[in-house]
Amino acid sequence: MKGIIFVKLNQFVDELWGDEFWDELLQDAELPSDGIYTSVATYDDAELFTLVGLIMEKKGLTGQQAQMAFGQWMFKQLLEAAPPEAHKFTDVFSFLYGVQDVIHVEVKKLNPEAILPEFEFIEETENSLSFHYLSPRKMCYFCEGIIEGLADHTGQKVAIEQTECEHEGDARCVIKVTKVG
Amino acid sequence: MAKSNEELEARIAVLERKIEREKKARVMSEQHLEVHSRALYETNQSLQTSLAMAKKKQAELEFLRQTSGDVSSDISLQELITNTVELTGQFFSVECGMFIVTQNGQALESKVDNIWRAPNEWVSDKAFLKQATQFLPIQQQECLSMWLVSAIDEQSSHALSGFKWIVFVNFELLGNKIAWLAFFSRAEYLDEEALSVLSTAREHLLSGITRRITDVSIRKRTVELQDTVNRLEQAKRQLIQSEKMASLGQLAAGVAHEINNPVGFIRSNLEMLEEYLQDYQQLHELISKQIGISGQLDAAQYQSLCENIDLVYIQQDSEDLLASNLEGLDRVKEIVENLKTFSHSGDGKLDKIDIKACIEGALKIAWNALKYEHIVDNLLPDDLPEVLGNIGQLQQVFVNLFVNAAYAMLKGGKLTIKSKLTPRVLLVEVIDNGCGMDQKTLDQLFTPFFTTKPIGVGTGLGLSVSYAILESHNVHTQVQSTVGKGTQFSLSFPLPQ
Repeated sequence: MKGIIFVKLNQFVDELWGDEFWDELLQDAELPSDGIYTSVATYDDAELFTLVGLIMEKKGLTGQQAQMAFGQWMFKQLLEAAPPEAHKFTDVFSFLYGVQDVIHVEVKKLNPEAILPEFEFIEETENSLSFHYLSPRKMCYFCEGIIEGLADHTGQKVAIEQTECEHEGDARCVIKVTKVG
Repeated sequence: MAKSNEELEARIAVLERKIEREKKARVMSEQHLEVHSRALYETNQSLQTSLAMAKKKQAELEFLRQTSGDVSSDISLQELITNTVELTGQFFSVECGMFIVTQNGQALESKVDNIWRAPNEWVSDKAFLKQATQFLPIQQQECLSMWLVSAIDEQSSHALSGFKWIVFVNFELLGNKIAWLAFFSRAEYLDEEALSVLSTAREHLLSGITRRITDVSIRKRTVELQDTVNRLEQAKRQLIQSEKMASLGQLAAGVAHEINNPVGFIRSNLEMLEEYLQDYQQLHELISKQIGISGQLDAAQYQSLCENIDLVYIQQDSEDLLASNLEGLDRVKEIVENLKTFSHSGDGKLDKIDIKACIEGALKIAWNALKYEHIVDNLLPDDLPEVLGNIGQLQQVFVNLFVNAAYAMLKGGKLTIKSKLTPRVLLVEVIDNGCGMDQKTLDQLFTPFFTTKPIGVGTGLGLSVSYAILESHNVHTQVQSTVGKGTQFSLSFPLPQ
């Protein structure tokens, strides 16, 4: 996983619980990288899951809550790092469509080896959009959190649910975003 | 509330670890940056190398494109060679190039400037040429299969001083000639890759030269073919003329008879007139004598002398004889004139002609064949429109038709000539009521050398030549024939629009 995610997780934890908690996490986790993260390097996915697992354990959170909270906070961070095209979107749905066709294309230019999730759009009505979330990392909750952050960014109110989820025993993850009000 | 020492120490430890991590992260980032910068530099270098390569390849391709373009264009061999020297010299970045043509190991004098100098100038330089040619194996009769390179030694003549290499090739031209291209370089080393490109260009050039040489052969062959066509055309004209002469030969006996008759009676008339002239001389002598004796001549004496020689009759008969002679001479003149038209081969040019006069001229020529046994019913009106034609050739056609008709009606019969006029076509029909023809004969009617006449009587060319003449006049010909009843030739002359 790209180091930027670890750097941002560090920042997120610092903001939420302070740098001592981050230090505590690293002390307990005994990671191969010793928690020395730079945004340009790449680290083992397992380090992230270890850190998130420890956060859940120490703060009594579910994986879903942890990933969603981090995702929601992460959106703003990612947007800042995103190519200029990403700032043009003013609607959650059009942004979601643009993720694959515009943003991920730009990300791949800078990080050819980056593993990015894919969205397969299934259904769209005036108010709702369903898509299949495809990622070997199975971070569908993180994705939900990011969409929350996106809605904060566009100023829209949305309800996000997973009509199907691999963590719930389904064959795939389907995220449905509904505009509310 | 002030933090306890323990707490402070713990805080310091956290911060120290944090700083340590940040330091290490920074070192990692810097290392990463270094690796990245190095990679970037290397990529840049390799891109520059690739760019240089690409530019070189582009130059090579451009060179090959231009040489191929010349090869496939329509420029002459000379232009192709000079263009090739220019392009090759520029591509190969040499200072000087040249071409020469040799035959039997001897350089031929060039009619044009044959030394090229960079950047792009053609000059004549005999001293240079002489020195340069010594480096070429021009005694060799076989052509080279690739570019050859020779070193030019330091001690070489003034004309070549400074040049280090000569690169040359040759190829065969028509007439045992060999063309040589040579380039002179001052470079320390020659670019081997460029040499391989030159070798590709050489292949193109060879095919271009072969094509041009083939073109020359084809042009030569075309000229030969055109000559043959011309000769055939001439032979055809001669054949038509010979056939006409053969027909004329057949007609000659009849024509001779036609001419002999008037000549015969003109001669006997002249003999008569000679006698009458003697009578006049005698009368004159008697009158002179009488006047000499008596100094005068009275009316009774004159009357008596005149009656003695029957002067009244002589005068009357002389007038008749002269009129008859003039008529006879007119007949001869007319026959001869028609024969002249007939035998004149002409240039095949089509003029507006009076078809009736043409047909009647033909009738006069063929008259001997028709006048004894046959009735000729000429129904052509006087106001027939003019048609486009060659009068001599058409007369030949009609003479043929009439003589054939006469031959088909050996025991006598009727030859009818009539016409029909439509807006676009004048139809002339020649009808006999002779023996007619069966289908087999009809099928071969226009075949050269086919004849139903006994050997020595017909050439078998008459109708085939007639048909060819009619074709060349765009006359549509139809034949209807019934055995025992007769034959009808229908000729449709297109009217000038």
